[in-house]
Amino acid sequence: MNDMRIVERTVDTHDVKIDAKDVNVHYGTSHALKGVSVAIPDKTVTAFIGPSGCGKSTFLRCLNRMNDTIASCRVDGLIALDGEDIYDRRVDPVQLRAKVGMVFQKPNPFPKSIYDNVSYGPKIHGLTRNKAELDEIVESCLKKAALWNEVKDRLHSPGTGLSGGQQQRLCIARAIATSPEVLLMDEPCSALDPIATAQVEELIDELRSSFSVVIVTHSMQQAARVSQRTAFFHLGNLVEYGETGQIFTSPQDPRTESYISGRIG
Amino acid sequence: MTDISANGAAPQVRSSILVQDVKMRRRNAAETRFKSYGLIAIAISLAILALMLFTIFRDGISSFRQAQLTFPVELSAGILDPNGARNPADLAKVTTVGYGRVLDVALLKALADKGIALDDPKQATALISKAAPAQLRNIVLANPAQIGRTIEVEVLALGRVDGYFKGRVTRETAERDPQIKPVQLDLIDKMRGAGLVALHFNWNFIFGTDASEQRPEAAGLGIALIGSAYMMLLVVVLSLPIGVAASIYLEEFAPKNRWTDLIEVNISNLAEVPSIVFGILGLAIFINFAQFPMSSSLVGALVLTLMTLPTIIIATRASLRAVPPSIRDAALGVGASKMQTVFHHVLPLAMPGILTGTILGLATALGETAPLLLIGMVAFVTNYSATPLDPATALPVQVYSWASRADPAFIERSNGAIIVLLAFLVVMNVVAILLRRRFETRW
Ligand SMILES: Nc1ncnc2c1ncn2[C@@H]1O[C@H](COP(=O)(O)OP(=O)(O)OP(=O)(O)O)[C@@H](O)[C@H]1O
Ligand SMILES: [Mg+2]
Repeated sequence: MNDMRIVERTVDTHDVKIDAKDVNVHYGTSHALKGVSVAIPDKTVTAFIGPSGCGKSTFLRCLNRMNDTIASCRVDGLIALDGEDIYDRRVDPVQLRAKVGMVFQKPNPFPKSIYDNVSYGPKIHGLTRNKAELDEIVESCLKKAALWNEVKDRLHSPGTGLSGGQQQRLCIARAIATSPEVLLMDEPCSALDPIATAQVEELIDELRSSFSVVIVTHSMQQAARVSQRTAFFHLGNLVEYGETGQIFTSPQDPRTESYISGRIG
Repeated sequence: MTDISANGAAPQVRSSILVQDVKMRRRNAAETRFKSYGLIAIAISLAILALMLFTIFRDGISSFRQAQLTFPVELSAGILDPNGARNPADLAKVTTVGYGRVLDVALLKALADKGIALDDPKQATALISKAAPAQLRNIVLANPAQIGRTIEVEVLALGRVDGYFKGRVTRETAERDPQIKPVQLDLIDKMRGAGLVALHFNWNFIFGTDASEQRPEAAGLGIALIGSAYMMLLVVVLSLPIGVAASIYLEEFAPKNRWTDLIEVNISNLAEVPSIVFGILGLAIFINFAQFPMSSSLVGALVLTLMTLPTIIIATRASLRAVPPSIRDAALGVGASKMQTVFHHVLPLAMPGILTGTILGLATALGETAPLLLIGMVAFVTNYSATPLDPATALPVQVYSWASRADPAFIERSNGAIIVLLAFLVVMNVVAILLRRRFETRW
């Protein structure tokens, strides 16, 4: 815990980007999330921390309706993106996901070339007019994801042939290529070495200027380094949510305190 | 090994990794045993396969070579073109009887030239196949300018001559045979010595039409090949898109409820329905109700499609299910629609499995006989079918109908037809493997 440094940043108060109120999630009969209310501000990095199985991924997947693909999953409550209910009947989840991108816990590149992985999103959303623009997006996204130097000579070899950490960075590049407004990252650095982690953290910090980023992490140091706000989940409850500095220095709830100091986990 | 000390605590025994302990040896022995079972199983199945191929080839390969008579024929203008105008319409009027006479005269002359004496000219002319005049007629009509000249022709010999060459006909059988006499066998020996008759490769067996019971030497597989090719083509064209579309819908789009469960159970059951039931169904629906032409390859293809669909659907659903869900998540996560997810990512990954299922279904369909008998594809067809609506037969049906004819010459042809059927299957498999390889390298 000694290298835990909380970056002193001016936390501007932004508009609320995602507003979740009293969200309950059931998988069949098991109650995975219990009455979670979180207001995620725009242009901010929000970290979700908590012990394994506490519902961080579940909540993250509610925010872009990826839970729709799980037949047994039922989501109740209100989640609004820019004030619009994302579970409204008129909302097409496909359109929503173009705005709310996601990097999954396990790297899942398409079994296609590196180039095709990154260019797929821009292609299906018609973000480019020609090949040159597409090339440009691919290059800039791979650079942002700190992968460009390693793959620039083999853009047309399979993405699944990369190492685990490289695959995760490829997935990050793929997610930012569609220029989403919100980027959900489920433990994006769990397979990365410290150098790549630092690069991804730098990227996250950069992304903050244009979108809001929600990151799930098991590394408290990372939460402290990159996020401005932190939410602590425990057994399906949102225990505490506030400014990162405050959560790490003076947690209000005894459960938060014991988790941060390493007693629950 | 069990020297437990008095106080009950097991002493720390340091074991060497250079020596296998008892448990390890037992595990290794079990593994060795299992491997040898596997090897034995493979060896047995290979041996059976080899035996099967060996007997088929031993009995069937000879049908690709046929006894043919080779001799000069004077295309006498007096018989073949009485007007002398070389008018194609007039030429076509000359029947095979006329050509038969030309052949008889020519063979007798050839024998006389070679110094082979005959008791009775009938003994020699009877050795010409009844299909030979038609062969000669085709040669002449293809090039009427030959009339009046003497040309070297190769025509079919009587089936018994072929049988004598291949050991089916002997002097003992000839004693009791109305078609050939032992004295004719002596004549054949002399003619063989003079180079008038020999075994040659027989394209007619592969591409010719079927022939009546009396002329096994002229029977060919051409119509069965066309019928089988039409049917396989139609089955692929119909069952692959329908089957794949149905599976994609059921697997990726349909809600999981009681109705889809019911459909799933029914599809699995359909795959187990005996093929003859599909034949009865085809007879009732496609022929009696829809009034499609009897014996046509279209009806055969429709029946085989019904049979193949469940196989393709089951294989396709299994391979769609085998695509990792994380790929679907990845595509949906970047904002692909369900349809884009399926067609851009899931289907290409499932394609090798789908092709494997399809080729299994097609191979079964290719060898299917019973339902085709019911829809009349066993009919005796002598005209090449130009479209799938014309009557045709199929390779397995031809095997069956030749095998059930009395003349042993047909049994040999039946075995030969099995070789052609296997070759057809191999070609289909090679195509499937090539396609599959393309999809696999494209990931
Ligand atoms: N598809 C599912 N079906 C049923 N239960 C699920 C499913 N996914 C998650 N759960 C359950 O929901 C609870 C929360 O899971 P979740 O994946 O959100 O945990 P997490 O906080 O992301 O954990 P980790 O840090 O290990 O990734 C767990 O008890 C889990 O068993
Ligand atoms: Mg998780």
